[in-house]
Amino acid sequence: MHFFLMIGLVAFSILAVLSRDLLRSAISLAVASIFLAVIFFRMNAVYAGVFEVSVVAGLITVLFITTIALTRGDQEVIENKRHLLIFPLFFLILIIIDILVMKNLLGKIPAMVSSETGTFGEVLWNQRTFDLVGQIGVIFAGVLAVLALFRQGGKNHDGGKNE
Amino acid sequence: MNNMWILNMGFVALLIGAGLYCLLTMRNMVKLLIGVEIIAKGITLALIASGYARDNLLVAQSLAITVIVVDVAVIATALAIIININRHTKSLDVRKLTKLKG
Repeated sequence: MHFFLMIGLVAFSILAVLSRDLLRSAISLAVASIFLAVIFFRMNAVYAGVFEVSVVAGLITVLFITTIALTRGDQEVIENKRHLLIFPLFFLILIIIDILVMKNLLGKIPAMVSSETGTFGEVLWNQRTFDLVGQIGVIFAGVLAVLALFRQGGKNHDGGKNE
Repeated sequence: MNNMWILNMGFVALLIGAGLYCLLTMRNMVKLLIGVEIIAKGITLALIASGYARDNLLVAQSLAITVIVVDVAVIATALAIIININRHTKSLDVRKLTKLKG
């Protein structure tokens, strides 16, 4: 079951990359997210699964589809498919080199000191407090960036009209 | 490390490979962001699979949530930039961005 879910995840991701229609790519990406969320639920990672479904499969798909709808019309971009044969070959060579190098290094990774106790909330708030502060900072920076971009775009648009 | 973890890492490599292929070869800007998104999926899967194998799932989940939140902020900002670029160049092609003149 786990294997088939993984195959579905990779297949829909590759479909999202190779599909010509952008809308179809965005929807394939959402389906891949749902596969990933089911994998997380099966690994007992409930909170990560909920975030994956609600944020990645929901919010990011809405953002992608909004962008595609706003930029529709002149979206014909001719892609070059020549790399389709060359890239997997080099990637396979890279993976083989990586496996050969990492095989010796994997045994040297130290084990965690103790198995963790407590709930998810305690771990998140007590051990990862700085991450939370960073997340809040990143969200505010993103909101301010989007606001600044659209305000600037409006001004330029008006300026273009006046000229 | 058990066999399950190695299998998961193989799929992580496939996901990151697909994302890298998209980033290196595609010319559509929305497609490039889809590549970034697929790489982020691979990273999240690697974190959770490693936490599951080492029995440290709580820390792994908090790190995965951090990755997801940062990813959302990046994608939202990048899509806003794409909409702005599309207003100027009337295209989604990255090759049109070689001209700095507005």
